[in-house]
Amino acid sequence: MTGVVLSLRQLGVELAGRDGPRLASNMAPVLEGLDLEVREGEMTALVGESGSGKTIAALAVMRLLPPGARITGQALFGGEDLLGLDERQMRARRGSVGMVFQNPLSALNPSMTIGRQVAEGHRLHTGASAQAARRHAVDLLGEVGIPDPARRLDEYPHQFSGGQRQRVMIAAALACNPKLLIADEPTTGLDPLVARQILDLLAKLQRDHRMGLLFITHDLSLVERHAQRLCVLYAGRAVEWGEAPAFFARPRHPYSHALLAAVPRLGQATLRGIAGTMPDPGHRPHGCRFAPRCPQRQDACTRAYPPPVGDGRTQAACLFPLGEIPVAAALPEAPAATTPLPGSALLQMQSVTIRYGSRAGLLGGSKAAVAPSLDDVSLELARGECLGIVGESGSGKSTLGRAILHMLRYEGRILLDGRALGDLSPGDRRRERRRVQVVFQDPRESLNPRLRIGAIIAEALQLGGQHDRDSLRRQTDALLERVGLNAALAGRLPNAISGGQAQRVAVARALAARPDIIVLDEPTSALDVSTQAMLLNLLRDLSRHEQLAYVMISHDIAAIAWLADRIAVLRAGRIVELATTDQLVNHPRDPYSASLVASAPRLGAATITVPGEA
Amino acid sequence: MLDATQQPVRIGASSFLARLLQLRPGNATLTAGLVLAAIILLASAIGPVLYGRDPYALHTASVLAGPSAAYPFGTDDLGRNAFARLLVAGRSTLYVALPATAVAFVVGTLYGLASGLGPRLLDQALMRLLDAVLALPGLVVLIFFGAIVPLNTGSLILLLGLISWPSLARLVRNETLAQRDRDFVHASRQLGGGLAHIAGTHLLRVMAPVLVVNFTFLVGDMIFALSALSFLGLGVQPPHTSWGGLLQEGLELVALDAWWLVLPPGLMIFAAMLATSLIGQGLLARGGSR
Repeated sequence: MTGVVLSLRQLGVELAGRDGPRLASNMAPVLEGLDLEVREGEMTALVGESGSGKTIAALAVMRLLPPGARITGQALFGGEDLLGLDERQMRARRGSVGMVFQNPLSALNPSMTIGRQVAEGHRLHTGASAQAARRHAVDLLGEVGIPDPARRLDEYPHQFSGGQRQRVMIAAALACNPKLLIADEPTTGLDPLVARQILDLLAKLQRDHRMGLLFITHDLSLVERHAQRLCVLYAGRAVEWGEAPAFFARPRHPYSHALLAAVPRLGQATLRGIAGTMPDPGHRPHGCRFAPRCPQRQDACTRAYPPPVGDGRTQAACLFPLGEIPVAAALPEAPAATTPLPGSALLQMQSVTIRYGSRAGLLGGSKAAVAPSLDDVSLELARGECLGIVGESGSGKSTLGRAILHMLRYEGRILLDGRALGDLSPGDRRRERRRVQVVFQDPRESLNPRLRIGAIIAEALQLGGQHDRDSLRRQTDALLERVGLNAALAGRLPNAISGGQAQRVAVARALAARPDIIVLDEPTSALDVSTQAMLLNLLRDLSRHEQLAYVMISHDIAAIAWLADRIAVLRAGRIVELATTDQLVNHPRDPYSASLVASAPRLGAATITVPGEA
Repeated sequence: MLDATQQPVRIGASSFLARLLQLRPGNATLTAGLVLAAIILLASAIGPVLYGRDPYALHTASVLAGPSAAYPFGTDDLGRNAFARLLVAGRSTLYVALPATAVAFVVGTLYGLASGLGPRLLDQALMRLLDAVLALPGLVVLIFFGAIVPLNTGSLILLLGLISWPSLARLVRNETLAQRDRDFVHASRQLGGGLAHIAGTHLLRVMAPVLVVNFTFLVGDMIFALSALSFLGLGVQPPHTSWGGLLQEGLELVALDAWWLVLPPGLMIFAAMLATSLIGQGLLARGGSR
């Protein structure tokens, strides 16, 4: 039996609402009654979507909440309630609790060498000499896998890559030999390969140092391999908690279930999203918070918050917990991918090369000095086909999408139905351009914040030459319904709808132009897990019914594999492998594609199997 | 897919008033500015009609009389009713300043949009031209043209408008550059939207808050410029008068202790500029709190 490092008992946090003065009446509970244990040498995962209260819990433990926050309950650390300490006592404890944040760039001071930042905590808490602190920093950087640490000690944060910065942050958190490490979404924003490495590193450190690790994330599949314990939060309350292996083998709460089913995995046949959105603090329903979105909902669910049910291993706050239902069925025989016949391609890219910064700048930078961000890329896309473009950040995948949209200058040829856009008259060019539409990553950024949803979609129709008011309204309503939105949303502004809804509006706008191709540039990256699945399902349905071709760009190979017929793997501006999805996922030829495939969540890889069959 | 949790959106004038009465940063400033501006506008627009006294009639019996029941703000050296003159002066001041602001506003906005959306060469040419215009001292140019162009309402509006646009043009250009690469602009281009469409449907809408704030500041600047011009005798021409003109007439007589001829027009100029400044600052503060 291992010792408990951190124990949260009925932890609750109330924060002042966003608008208006901080009055007692304006306080809204963002976290309620959280019980959680982190044990020595174990990883406890705190899982939830944005708005679930998971980060608030960590900040409450560290006493880093904004003034005015009301905290109730206990946070026992080594038998002592951290919430009862005064600021000076707390400062002394902070050394033994390390914290790693989501954005390492903003957590590191850009004007200090990383050596000093890593050693800072050590010197503050132990009073070590500068020399000893430096040696300690070299050791730490070596331990977190920074090559040649003695030399890199005197470099600044901007000289490190995103993944390395996160390693530096981890080294800094380790500097005082903490008994507890809190990692708040430490891998969000990193490429999947790098994220996997960081997670492996944290798991290793936590074992070697016999630390307790509290790992906060929105991504269940990420913690599947390493977590011993887990707690799923929804709208400020724990819905399911217990031992991780038992949880993954048999999730009891419908929300846990839905969350697992919503993450795209390689080899998966169905993807289920969760309809609706998480209620905001202050507008949370009575009874079970998940009830409004729950497929198993019954009248009793809305009466009171459900008591926990389960066994010694996992428990769920649900009146009607799920039995042994398979989370996802295995993939049926994959349909033969459509490979374009020569000459019949809808879109052709021929030896397209793009160099950024090649414009003669102030300093007259020479062309040859800049490595091309897209290097001699040739591709074909057939009518109705979905081509996935996968690669890490900086691989040139977004550049490729922008080239197809003619948003930047390129060398080489891009042909639509065998014709280059540049050869057409301006009028034809505008018409041809409408045949290729786009859905961007950030749905908020892609909708004009001052136009109502109806006007945004009507704009797409009007630019196609339609001006009859009644017909515009009818078509706008029909388009909204086609992407699964209520036509009543037409009167809202973009900031009055959720991110998932906004992304659907972007899809509806693209559809309004009756395109042949839609470029999907990381369409799900900015969305919560449950919403992601809904959007992917929508895109799949649309492509089946409309003869639409997609170019889907993403770093998430599992999401791409779910939609794409063929996948191109892009690295440093070049295509290293182009194959049918089935081939790439099961028999990647290139070693880099193989490592990408290996880093993606896979159906049945861990414990997602049908209980009883395993 | 529909969620019942979201509140309906309120729109319309009643909600604007409701929002104005909330305790929000900037609301007190904005309200004070709006009230002051309303008083000035009403006094100038319908004041002369309500007061009903002839501002041009000469009351030779009471030359340079101090404030009294018959003449609330006294009379001038020709025996004209100073209060009646202050009201019509306000009318002619705003009659020139507001259209001139509109001219500067339209020219500046179009110039800035053209510069920000046009090709690089056009942008550079327009910006150099703008620098040249900015380098000219506005008042000197006004005095120069005032001397060679017959001064009437129309020419004054054009003169004032055509020297006041550069700062707004630069602002609009910078905003255009900042907004034109946003995803919704790209989406609109992909739908076939031309530059005019993008400017009208997207850029101007997104910039609207900035434009409104700067319009109010521009009104204040314009009233000041016109007052200065009139003070120098190049503004509104006699027998009509403006606040600047009244101030100048009054100052000539200040040796006779006729303070009632100096203070009211000076205060009106001050109040008008304060009102525009308060409105602008209030709008800015409210925008910042969102």
